[in-house]
Amino acid sequence: MLAIRQLADRLIGLSAVLGSLGLLVEVGIILTDVIGRLFGHPLFGSQDLITMTMVIVVFGGMAICDQKGGHIAIDIFERHFPAAFNRFMDALSALLGAVIFAMIAWTVLESAKLSVMLNLSTNLLNLPKAWFQWALAGFAVLTAVGMLLRAIEMAAGSSRNARR
Amino acid sequence: MNEWTIGLIGLGCLLVLLIVRVPVAFAMFVVGYFGNAVLNGYPAANSLLASEAFTLASSPELVVVPLFILMGNVASVTGMSRQLYDAAYAIIGQVRGGLASATVIGCGGFAALSGSSVASALTMGKVALSEMSRFDYDSRLSTGVVAAGGTLGILIPPSTGFVIYAILTEQSIGRLFLAGVLPGLLLLLMFIVTITLICWFRPGFGPAGPSTSGPEKLRALLGAGPVVGIIVVTIGGIYGGFFSPVEAAAVGAGFVVLLGFVTGNLNVAALWSATRDSIVTTATVMLILISAHLLNPFLALSHIPQFVGETIAGFNLPAFAVLGLILAMLLVLGCFLEGFAMMVLTLPIFFPIVTQMGVDPIWFGVLVVLTLEMGLISPPVGLNVFIVKSVAHDVPLGRIFVGVVPFWLAMLVTLILLALFPQISLLLPNTMIG
Repeated sequence: MLAIRQLADRLIGLSAVLGSLGLLVEVGIILTDVIGRLFGHPLFGSQDLITMTMVIVVFGGMAICDQKGGHIAIDIFERHFPAAFNRFMDALSALLGAVIFAMIAWTVLESAKLSVMLNLSTNLLNLPKAWFQWALAGFAVLTAVGMLLRAIEMAAGSSRNARR
Repeated sequence: MNEWTIGLIGLGCLLVLLIVRVPVAFAMFVVGYFGNAVLNGYPAANSLLASEAFTLASSPELVVVPLFILMGNVASVTGMSRQLYDAAYAIIGQVRGGLASATVIGCGGFAALSGSSVASALTMGKVALSEMSRFDYDSRLSTGVVAAGGTLGILIPPSTGFVIYAILTEQSIGRLFLAGVLPGLLLLLMFIVTITLICWFRPGFGPAGPSTSGPEKLRALLGAGPVVGIIVVTIGGIYGGFFSPVEAAAVGAGFVVLLGFVTGNLNVAALWSATRDSIVTTATVMLILISAHLLNPFLALSHIPQFVGETIAGFNLPAFAVLGLILAMLLVLGCFLEGFAMMVLTLPIFFPIVTQMGVDPIWFGVLVVLTLEMGLISPPVGLNVFIVKSVAHDVPLGRIFVGVVPFWLAMLVTLILLALFPQISLLLPNTMIG
């Protein structure tokens, strides 16, 4: 279990690095395009690059977002519930998140099959749409795994506490 | 079972999931996906999920979100809030309550760099609270002013609140940004009037700070020059038609990073940390948006907005009364719901109603964002109050909430003024864009 957690943490770190690099690259592309336009030479296909990099930025950050507890929850009733119920809900929410991201990955992979079949690509640079759908699905699977591990760890922690 | 009964059951499930602390995005996703599956079949729900996840993640309009978040985060770590505060202090610091007014002006300036209220409250809190404490400001005034001033972050453009509103209601981001300028300045002015009144009636709350010499004033103003320059280039670039909002965001982020490196206030590690924080916030926002795009078709299929609209229309209330009712509901909800979550949960129901009644969607956007701001300082879940508490450890939470009351009232007066005079919001977009 520890080995799986360490591997997942490394992959989550890697996806965050890719997302962060994507954001910096995005700034660079737009700046190059704006400066180029000033001199009459805008960057060809910048729109394609920006929108496809955005996929990496958004889904590259999903796993680290969960790891850092970035999802907004309404916690005003928290203190009215028993501690055991709150722990159960935390584990259940993580499990629910895992299912949600697994569903995103599965439906986007199905959609990618269509993109391959129809040879769908971006307007100017003809970047295959499926590449980015596969990337999105990969990041979603990683997020689902991270959430599943968190759910298992919380459940195991709760049962250890209960035994004590 | 008819469609709107299914819709009501879905909304009930959503409420239960939110109460038991399931994250907002997950709760909306589950209700939206299964609601669509029940009303339209699983293949349609799967297809909607695949298309929305990829379309939103690759949306050209939404590129503005991570870029403005990055700009705000880098501005925070490079201490640009300090320069803005120093310049405002040099001008008005020596009058009674001047430090508090300088804080509000600094918040307003920082709001034009960052679309986030939390970032504004946090960075300005770190800068201004110790200064106000040093000059014996009452902690209710000092903490109240930082919590309230921070909320300017989502009214003065660039604003993530306006971007999310624009995406959810298919309005122009540029028009909304323009519409936020005058209301933002009006609110800033109302805050300064509030501080002046507090210090007029309770002089001990905000003693005058030491006066600054002419060269000191000049130095402080020159220090803030580059930051003001970035604000002028980015926001002015959008209004002048030189940049799209996305380009302005990238140019602003690029300039902030460049200025940080040139002044030595930014290093690679700090930039990397700010970038990483930006993708985390972006992921939070984007998952909520994906979920909202699953929930909205479900609500539309269940005819709930239509049902609520017809019920309200049945009362034969004038449009202004309906608008007032909706704003009152948003104000109450804002006390309990996180502002952003409140917006994505309520807009699918309220927006069709107000547009059907002929209310201008841009004007409505300004009113919604202002109520969202008020929620940020309303007990019991006023996020900005908790942010200020994290900086002002020795001030009890209750005292901070007492401190924000006059500013909350100032916001209420501003909301009423904006509701009575739509021209304040619509003047700039109508004259500059048409």
